[in-house]
Amino acid sequence: MTVTTAAVEVRGLTHRYDSGRETLLALDGVNLDVGEGEFVSLVGPSGCGKTTLLRAVAGLLQPSTGSVGVLGTTPDDARARRVLGLVTQDPGLLPWRSVVANVRLPLEVTGASADVDALLRRVGIERFAGYYPRQLSGGMRQRVALARALAHGPRLLLMDEPFGALDELSREAMRVELLRLWERERISVLFVTHSIREAVLLSDRVVVMSGTPGRVVDEVPVDLGRPRTPALEETAAFAALVSRVRAGLGGQPW
Amino acid sequence: MPDATDVVDLPGLPAEQEAAPARRGGATGALGRWLGLGFAPGLAAVVLLAAWEVWVRARDVQEYLLPPPSAVAQALADEPMRYIDASRLSLTAAMGGLLIASAGAFALAVVMAHSRPLERALYPPALMLKVTPIVAIYPLFTIWFGFGIWPKMLIAALITFFPMLVNAVIGLRSVDPQAYDFMRSLDASRWQVFWRLRLPSSLPYVFAALRISVPLSLIGAVVAEFLSGTSGMGQLILIANGDFDTPALFGAVVVLAALGVTLTGAVSYLERRVLTWHESSRGV
Repeated sequence: MTVTTAAVEVRGLTHRYDSGRETLLALDGVNLDVGEGEFVSLVGPSGCGKTTLLRAVAGLLQPSTGSVGVLGTTPDDARARRVLGLVTQDPGLLPWRSVVANVRLPLEVTGASADVDALLRRVGIERFAGYYPRQLSGGMRQRVALARALAHGPRLLLMDEPFGALDELSREAMRVELLRLWERERISVLFVTHSIREAVLLSDRVVVMSGTPGRVVDEVPVDLGRPRTPALEETAAFAALVSRVRAGLGGQPW
Repeated sequence: MPDATDVVDLPGLPAEQEAAPARRGGATGALGRWLGLGFAPGLAAVVLLAAWEVWVRARDVQEYLLPPPSAVAQALADEPMRYIDASRLSLTAAMGGLLIASAGAFALAVVMAHSRPLERALYPPALMLKVTPIVAIYPLFTIWFGFGIWPKMLIAALITFFPMLVNAVIGLRSVDPQAYDFMRSLDASRWQVFWRLRLPSSLPYVFAALRISVPLSLIGAVVAEFLSGTSGMGQLILIANGDFDTPALFGAVVVLAALGVTLTGAVSYLERRVLTWHESSRGV
């Protein structure tokens, strides 16, 4: 893949959380790159600073030291240019808005326009346009969150354990859905997960982090070709990559 | 703020607790609701009133001590305009005060919800207002505002101000952090966040406050009328009391209770209509 502009360029990122007497070193000198059109996963144990890193990239958190570049500019500027799409584990849909009204939210905020019906079709929720979030399953809600994150045409999709709260079957379905969607659109993705298999299946590259303080311990290029399907998970090449990521995590029980 | 949980968890009318499971049940649900809400309490009331009537007559209790329900009904039927006029004055004072307080408290809550320093600065005086026995302020109000409707309205306003303030501040702060992050990732303005996220998030708390405040506003108005003795149900009660006209006194209590129930019911109805999205999560 030829990289023109870096979608994400993190250099020497360190972040401390201060809580009165104690300080917690969440990130310690982290470097991270995501190329334009590249799908990069961050894998690591709980509390290794994955979410902190993603929030710094999203401009939702001011890191203690280090620099973060997003699409050739600062995270704050990237937010102002409305080029970020955010999907979180708890999707944070507005319960008083129907599915279609939730997906319209970013359009209202940014003043952008988009074919919302087409957007709903893209993620397979066109039949639920008039439903309210509470009437939907967890998987369906994440599809809404995905449609909402894509509505204003972002160039970088930031996903923080988007399938973490789903049951295994919904998770599988959402992986396939995301693969299908991404392989058509090729927008840059930074994907946080604690599932090794998920990371390997989806990504061009897996960045492995260790816990407290969060450091990058390995980077595993995933040379499996595209398009990918879940059948890939049965191959030896896939198993080898999973082993390598697991080794990077230091043989922690997964 | 311990008040908040008190305020929010305070039970409303039985109607809204029992109506929720029945609503989806169709014909049997409606019947069950009718039986549960109308019939059983109605029967209990009839039995109670009949027992009261019989007991008073059998024991030949003096009417000024405890009038039979029939005498109370007679008092209401004899002079309906007396009660209607008095209620109109009391209602005006109560609702006017509630309106002033709710609008003012919500506006202040918006300011406080956006600024921790301002919240810290403004909370103590608001709390002081809350713990001060409002009746003690009334003489001051008559000096400033005379004996018209204004001092009564202001008493009703003072007594309802705090529940709305506390609930509105908490409501405006109780935004889903993920939804907030999403809006921030789009560089949404404060106004957009307020209008699309904070305000709708606060509505369940605002309605909870209203359910507390509506009966409080009536209390405030009637107490103020007691103290001034110049108008409304408070005055009616004072006069009836002076005349040993106990049936009229009971009549006033019945009318005030009916007003309280009706107003609270109206708030609950409005709440159900506005908060359809919130209702189901609360109904179970």
